[in-house]
Amino acid sequence: MENSIRFENVDKTYGKTPVIKSLNLNVQKGERIILLGPSGCGKSTILRMISGLETISGGNLYLNDILANEIDPGDRSIAMVFQNYALFPHMTVEDNIAYGLNINKVPKAEVASRVLEVLKILNLTGFEKRLPRELSGGQRQRVALARALVKRADFLLLDEPLSNLDAQLRGQARKELVNIHEMYHQTFVYVTHDQVEAMTIGNRIALVNGGCLQMLDTPNNVYRHPANIFVAKFIGSPSTNILHIRYENGRVYLADGQSFPLSDAWVRQIEKSEAKELVMGIRPEDVTVGRPDVTAEASVSFKVSYVEDYGNRIGYYFKLGEEEVISIMPESIFGLGDDAKWFINYAKLHFFDAATERSIGDPEEY
Amino acid sequence: MRKQKAGISAADEINRRFLKKSVRDVMTAWGYILPALLVFAVFMFWPLIYTVAMSFFKGNTANPTKAFVGFANYMTVLKDPNTLELLKNTGFYILILIVINFLFPYVMAFINHFVMQRGKKLYKVIIFMPSLISLVVGAMLIQWLFNPIIGPVSKLVVLFGGTMPTWSKTPGLVIFVISLVACYKAFGYNFLVLLSGVSNVSGELIEAARLEKTSNFKIFTKIVMPLTSSTAIYVLIMSIVQGVQFVFTPIKILTQGGPNGASSNILYGTYQEAFLYFNSGSASVLSVLTMLIFIVLLILEFKYVEKGVYYEN
Amino acid sequence: MKTKQNETQLFRVNSHSKRKSDLKWHIIFIVVVILMLYPIVFAVSTSFKTLQEVYSNSFGVIPQNPTTAAYAGVLAKIPFLRITFNTFFVATLVTLFKLFTGILAAYSFVFFDYKGKKVVYFILICTIFIPFTVTMIPNFITVSQIGLKDNLLGVALPQMADATGIFLLRQHMRGIPRSLVEVAELENTPHLTRLRTIVIPMVKPAIFSIGIIFFVNSWNEYVWPLLILKSEKNYTLSLALQMFVSSEGGVDVPMAMATSVLTILLPLILYIFCQKFIIETFSQSGIKG
Repeated sequence: MENSIRFENVDKTYGKTPVIKSLNLNVQKGERIILLGPSGCGKSTILRMISGLETISGGNLYLNDILANEIDPGDRSIAMVFQNYALFPHMTVEDNIAYGLNINKVPKAEVASRVLEVLKILNLTGFEKRLPRELSGGQRQRVALARALVKRADFLLLDEPLSNLDAQLRGQARKELVNIHEMYHQTFVYVTHDQVEAMTIGNRIALVNGGCLQMLDTPNNVYRHPANIFVAKFIGSPSTNILHIRYENGRVYLADGQSFPLSDAWVRQIEKSEAKELVMGIRPEDVTVGRPDVTAEASVSFKVSYVEDYGNRIGYYFKLGEEEVISIMPESIFGLGDDAKWFINYAKLHFFDAATERSIGDPEEY
Repeated sequence: MRKQKAGISAADEINRRFLKKSVRDVMTAWGYILPALLVFAVFMFWPLIYTVAMSFFKGNTANPTKAFVGFANYMTVLKDPNTLELLKNTGFYILILIVINFLFPYVMAFINHFVMQRGKKLYKVIIFMPSLISLVVGAMLIQWLFNPIIGPVSKLVVLFGGTMPTWSKTPGLVIFVISLVACYKAFGYNFLVLLSGVSNVSGELIEAARLEKTSNFKIFTKIVMPLTSSTAIYVLIMSIVQGVQFVFTPIKILTQGGPNGASSNILYGTYQEAFLYFNSGSASVLSVLTMLIFIVLLILEFKYVEKGVYYEN
Repeated sequence: MKTKQNETQLFRVNSHSKRKSDLKWHIIFIVVVILMLYPIVFAVSTSFKTLQEVYSNSFGVIPQNPTTAAYAGVLAKIPFLRITFNTFFVATLVTLFKLFTGILAAYSFVFFDYKGKKVVYFILICTIFIPFTVTMIPNFITVSQIGLKDNLLGVALPQMADATGIFLLRQHMRGIPRSLVEVAELENTPHLTRLRTIVIPMVKPAIFSIGIIFFVNSWNEYVWPLLILKSEKNYTLSLALQMFVSSEGGVDVPMAMATSVLTILLPLILYIFCQKFIIETFSQSGIKG
């Protein structure tokens, strides 16, 4: 595959501290890939290794199928947008955007036309002669993006480019970014800790934690089929409920002793997995609760221990033994202390091997 | 929409740059400190070594012939009663500088930043001004201001019924008057640095203390001093440096160390040995002594001040 | 209504007492300001007095019969223009050179990572505290040996080994966000170009004020001219001034003061015009990092 980024067993250490451990990652030409993870997980380091601002301690990095470990940043055909925008405060918008072109001695006429083009695309016409400090946050962000676009590089690297914008502008900027990508089709590597950005912008999401790649898949799969407990908990808010369970003879026993039967598909899946101990995960919005007098084969009874009203949704908290479960329902049905029932939806359950924390996989039918 | 030089074309690029980027960067980095290092090598590091070496030789400053004498120079200098006088005077100068140029500006910085309300900004601008005035001019000004016959200070003393002694002939007083030159030169700088240190203390903290009816004295000693200790120690050490260095010029110009060595300090003593008696051996021994004093100061400085580096990051 | 009145009254009492307590602090500061300014005023005023008036009216700030005789006397007695030029030449040379080496070294310390960097920096900073007498004799010998005795270059050279510039410039360069330099790195911008297009423009005020202080320090330098220079035509202002000093207090007070005024004129003008930058730059010199 041409025009791709490929990490082959890449390590990165600072002194003796490992930051990235044996990373294998393939980015396809023209896709928007998101590096997502908590702060300090190493996602920015991965981006900076692609850019060449950070050296590679071990393994190989290929850009367009060319070994790039020792290629200078300027020879990698990359453009980058920094979190703080990194605009030169003493240069006008125009000079900021044209900086790279001027350094690389692109003819004046061409610089002018290319700058004009990105100014138009990013709605910055009229601001050419302003200094960065005379711009709003959103405008600065667009100038930073313009400076990256004007380069027409193969790879566009973005390091949390929207984190300094307020929530309203961020939504708008997300759409703008996707539209721009549709125009240029550069390979887009986007670092963020914001899962909404990741889900809405990415073609694929690479989840990183503790210097290791946790999962690489489409936003949909990352959400619906988390590869491990970390992914399940990191994606979605409130976080996925993680319950320590005991599996015996086709039944799941919860911490408080209640149990429910599993579907045949799940039973086969679990028995195939050879996991000694299991952990069950379920998203709060998948925990369907209802009146206690409704009978169902797979259900769990509980008392509501806490209620949160989010306006458009209601959160119910309840305890099963020591473990707390959150359920998010569209409307208010219970009050504090009410008896209620949780109706198990097999399709929404996830099971993980307690030892490896990995998903045992989902059955094809539930 | 492609760049003319589209993508990365591997082989050329790698060949064009024959050394790894990391190696090139290290070479550039050293290249950039090289000019400074060269000057320092010739006019700082080599002299330091040379001075230490010279302290073991009998020699003439003007005519570099020397004979190895071991610790003989040290014995001579340490046995000389003048050396004790030099060290005593040096300590006396330092003490005056610490009081006038460290304690005063410290308290003033606190008052200026946290006690005063209005019209306080202009003071630092004016107070810093004398830092720009040369020590030679400062020495001359002091000489005339304190002149026993026509000096305004003497007239003021007379006005209040006193008599102005000939300060340059009065041991003790001579040191005080000479110190004033160094104080005049350095007060503003110290005040400025302390003020910026004090202004880094959060105003909310002081407000909170005020609400508890804490006195200004307590606020200064219990809150401001502990929180500005690294700046304070820096300025304290600078006052010591000034107390040793800045008094050299006025001593040379006004008293040449007199009367009878009563105003000389260790630097002036070194200068005298080297350029009046041309005794490079004794001068070097005094230099080594000076160096030892400053090494102690440096250790203190790095123990207490440079620590701040790590807190700040 | 009543409470509101009470409040305003309370507020007034409060602000009044604040103003009152402020007054005593202002008095202290004004005394310090007078102590700082009086010597300068004294010098200027005396330089326009006649010798007679110096004795009869040394207190008076405004001369009774202002005269420029002292200035004329100075110009007649010493080659003032020549001496001023000498001082200017040495100060400029020292300033430019220290800025040049300082900017390069500070850039290296801030924007590169390499082994030995910390040690070298540490050693350089230590030299700031070393008194000049420690290196004085060997430097005197070196300057003599390369034949620069009684030569302005010989005065300038030993002054160039000064790490304060490296220290201050490094502090200011550390304030530049690393990402700005990385933008340049992504373009393979050569380091000298990065320095010229990004780093220097961003620390320009600091370079400017550090330069002024270097200039003034060298302008005021006394020891090296004293040791190196012999002939009057090579004198700098400090040495010229010394001609008007005697430990007994001499007689030519107005001339001595006129020379003093001429010496401090340029530093003070520079300060008055650039005080904002200078104050800002040096405020930070105590905050290590």
